[in-house]
Amino acid sequence: MNNPRPSDLNEAQWQAVCHEGSHLMIVAGPGTGKTHTLTHRIVRILGGHVPNSKNEFGTCPHLLAITFTNKAAQEMRKRLEAKVPQLWKHVTVGTFHRFALSLLREFSEHTPLPNNFQIALPEDIQGFLEEIFPHKTSAQRKETVEEISLLKSTQLVIDANEDYQRYHRFLHSRGLIDFDDILRETLLLLENEDVAAVIRQRYPYIFVDEYQDINIVQNALLKCLVGGLGQPMYGRTDGSPLLTAIGDPNQSIYGFRGSQVKLFHRFQEDFPGTTVMQLNENYRSTVNLLTASTQIISVGAYCNTPLHAEMIDEGRLVIHEAATDRAEAEYIAHQIELLVGGVSMFSQDSNRVETYRQAHRSFGDMAILYRLNAQKNVVMEALEHLGIPYAVSAKGKIKGVETQNFASLQQDQKDEIFLQQFEETIDYNVEKVSLLTLHAAKGLEFPVVFIVGCEAKLLPLDFNDMKGDPQEERRLFYVGMTRAKEHLYLTRAGRRQLFGQTFFNPPSMFLADIEEDLKAYENSKLRRRLSKSKEAEKQQLKLF
Amino acid sequence: MKFYADLHVHSKYSRATAKDLDLEHLYLWAQYKGIHLVGTGDDVHPVWMKELQEKLEPAQEGLFKLKDKYAKPMDTYVPKACRAPVRFMLTVEISNIYKRMDKVRKVHNLIWSPSFEAAQKVQAKLGAIGNIKSDGRPILGLDSRDLLEIVLEADPQNIFVPAHIWTPWFSALGSMGGFDRMEDCFADLTKHVYAVETGLSSDPLMNWRLKQLDPFILVSNSDAHSPSKLGREANIFDTEFSYSAIYKALADTKDKGLVGTIEFFPQEGKYHYDGHRLCQVRWHPRQTKENNGLCTGCGKPVTVGVMARVEELADRPEDEKSKRHRPYWNTVPLPEVIGEAKEVGPASKAVQEAYMNMLTQIGNEFYILLDAPLDQIRRSAGEVTAEGIARMRKGEVKIAAGYDGEYGTVEIFKHGEREKIEKQLALF
Repeated sequence: MNNPRPSDLNEAQWQAVCHEGSHLMIVAGPGTGKTHTLTHRIVRILGGHVPNSKNEFGTCPHLLAITFTNKAAQEMRKRLEAKVPQLWKHVTVGTFHRFALSLLREFSEHTPLPNNFQIALPEDIQGFLEEIFPHKTSAQRKETVEEISLLKSTQLVIDANEDYQRYHRFLHSRGLIDFDDILRETLLLLENEDVAAVIRQRYPYIFVDEYQDINIVQNALLKCLVGGLGQPMYGRTDGSPLLTAIGDPNQSIYGFRGSQVKLFHRFQEDFPGTTVMQLNENYRSTVNLLTASTQIISVGAYCNTPLHAEMIDEGRLVIHEAATDRAEAEYIAHQIELLVGGVSMFSQDSNRVETYRQAHRSFGDMAILYRLNAQKNVVMEALEHLGIPYAVSAKGKIKGVETQNFASLQQDQKDEIFLQQFEETIDYNVEKVSLLTLHAAKGLEFPVVFIVGCEAKLLPLDFNDMKGDPQEERRLFYVGMTRAKEHLYLTRAGRRQLFGQTFFNPPSMFLADIEEDLKAYENSKLRRRLSKSKEAEKQQLKLF
Repeated sequence: MKFYADLHVHSKYSRATAKDLDLEHLYLWAQYKGIHLVGTGDDVHPVWMKELQEKLEPAQEGLFKLKDKYAKPMDTYVPKACRAPVRFMLTVEISNIYKRMDKVRKVHNLIWSPSFEAAQKVQAKLGAIGNIKSDGRPILGLDSRDLLEIVLEADPQNIFVPAHIWTPWFSALGSMGGFDRMEDCFADLTKHVYAVETGLSSDPLMNWRLKQLDPFILVSNSDAHSPSKLGREANIFDTEFSYSAIYKALADTKDKGLVGTIEFFPQEGKYHYDGHRLCQVRWHPRQTKENNGLCTGCGKPVTVGVMARVEELADRPEDEKSKRHRPYWNTVPLPEVIGEAKEVGPASKAVQEAYMNMLTQIGNEFYILLDAPLDQIRRSAGEVTAEGIARMRKGEVKIAAGYDGEYGTVEIFKHGEREKIEKQLALF
């Protein structure tokens, strides 16, 4: 372990990579190189850092790496493949659900499930609801299903009511389980100590990314995989696996799905003997953008260790107020046109574009983020009007699979389709501007980010019957801001049409938490207002 | 047979184009201009594609004609002297905007297809990766090289031509959005590019200065955004009137099917010189150098035009020709010549009347500009216009070069000269 630190790791990252002998929790803010550090650590443990050397296991150990999304899993596999082409197959990389499903398939004889159980997709379930709950209205049905799902991801022991039982009886009668059941059935499976022992033996090291977003069932699963179930345990002297978790409590944004940020803070209790480390050097955002996002999160933050910006350049933080949502969208489309340096001869000829500015952005560099999917339509219209290519994140679908062929697919292909269906991703073949919800933007980064609708009611969400937890909404806004590397536009509309209603929303309360000096206003009215108030200040000063 | 072809035009479904840019008006104006083969433009646009399928029918191999029921009503507007068959070829221009080698590249490319099936394959492939519905010349975040691959995969007989390769903002070799070498742009597939389009701001003479362009034959088209702009530049073929003969004329370096091109005076193009339009700074590249490239009006870098860019990349003396060189003829659009003669704007009523009059009495515009006897022109349009055409044919025109998106302005007659010419005539 006396190898010199590679140049692509800083000291804190290197320590995290080399840590041995206990569970490890790495607290890592946005842009601090989470995946990078985790990948290096995996490679090191694989023995890949010294070619042809044998590690302590004599052979290459099998590792389990759990990511939050399938996309993150792909990214990690790609990085591992590049770094250790001979060894990366020793790492099982996947989401909790993917890994759990593979266990259920492998040990199906130890489960009460039918041999070739299938997973019910949300749309399948929608179709069943009328049959399951014939006396409910469709709104009630939807609510019931949401309640059941939340129950299954927030409670280990469920006090099953009539609806819950009816729902599950129905699924069982058809040999189906739902998405949440994948984890719960696996948890039951791992209560079988023989099975659990086999799996613990198989994966001496377990890695979990985005720990701030795990729920209580996933937490319980991890405890089973590590063994000891709350028993004190030091090192792996008893042969039980070692866990490395990485995450950022300030980016916990999936409370509505049952994620509990308190699990993050309970980590040392759940996994005694844990060493905690922090990564604080941010390599993503320019210094002023980082300062602004820090000001947002430091109001009621879980973790107050400030991030240190490694990007010393000045970025651009622009606040823009438009009269309407349409004007806001047109402003964004025009900004994109400017950043690309014009998209048509027309934009050159009419001097729409400042021709002196050497264009250095392309469409793939930019993302437009919004709180609610309903906000995107007016943005899409404005982009289309200028012919700007864009891609909207959508639930994944496996390409080239016709539904009628579905039955003939191999089980693992079917599983793949099910798993992909639960995730919002963007399919990139060509460069496009990304349109994403703030939630879907998690884990991504872009040189230029627009957050639209920085207005009361939307950020934090408090809109009709939709109400987000204010602290979680703040973290969500923080996640959005920290996606930006160099340009961040926070835009809003004085008047907005949404769900057929018209709203006149004041600015989001979050905007006030960013200090004025960091903001550039691109709006004549505001500028005037500001310069007037500055003028007034000067006048007042003169009086004294 | 000898035929004139203009294979870069747009439809009304492209941005900033004329509302009457439809097949009927292309059919009409092609005859006014003397063009036998005209591109459909925009053939991946779904609505335009439908219209093409509805209104066109197969004619010569790979070429199409406007169905009689659509052509007939237009024929009444065509003077007898101009009437000639018009054929269409399936074409489209794509705007590729993407990052390559750490720079944003903006390159326009032309795709010509031998059949509706081939064009629809391209359409389907592009439709799957981008938005082809909101602009007849779609913007795709796709690498030019990858577009070329898609085009060749769709049908190996598709022809791929980098458009107006010198335009600063949107071209393969442009100073702002382009590359220094064609190989950098098209990489391993460069050999599947047979022809490049010179654009209005450059003529073959300028393009011959680059050895790297030797493998390509030079083509010229109008890039018309309205029917009346058809034929500003065009290609002259003398071969079988079919798609495969055109393909061979471009792809086969020994084929002599492409006999020459009709060109703008390059100074007339929008980006010949350097400068800033808003600051009214119009510079010869030499002046740009003297000012270190910075505008004396606003202090920011000037838009570097085609002349400077060619000079920057040139590696051959001015008096040598490329191997695949063809003769070319510089022309000034007839309405401009008439306008110059009459000292009125080219769009004025007087010019329009004189223009139609000449088409009726003499024949189509290309014939008038290139071949018609001066006597005949004199009889129809008067001494000054005839003298204007004579001077244009000899290249004796003065042009204030275009710059930073502003067209160059043509001056054929000096102040007071027109009266002198009229008077001379009166003496006889």
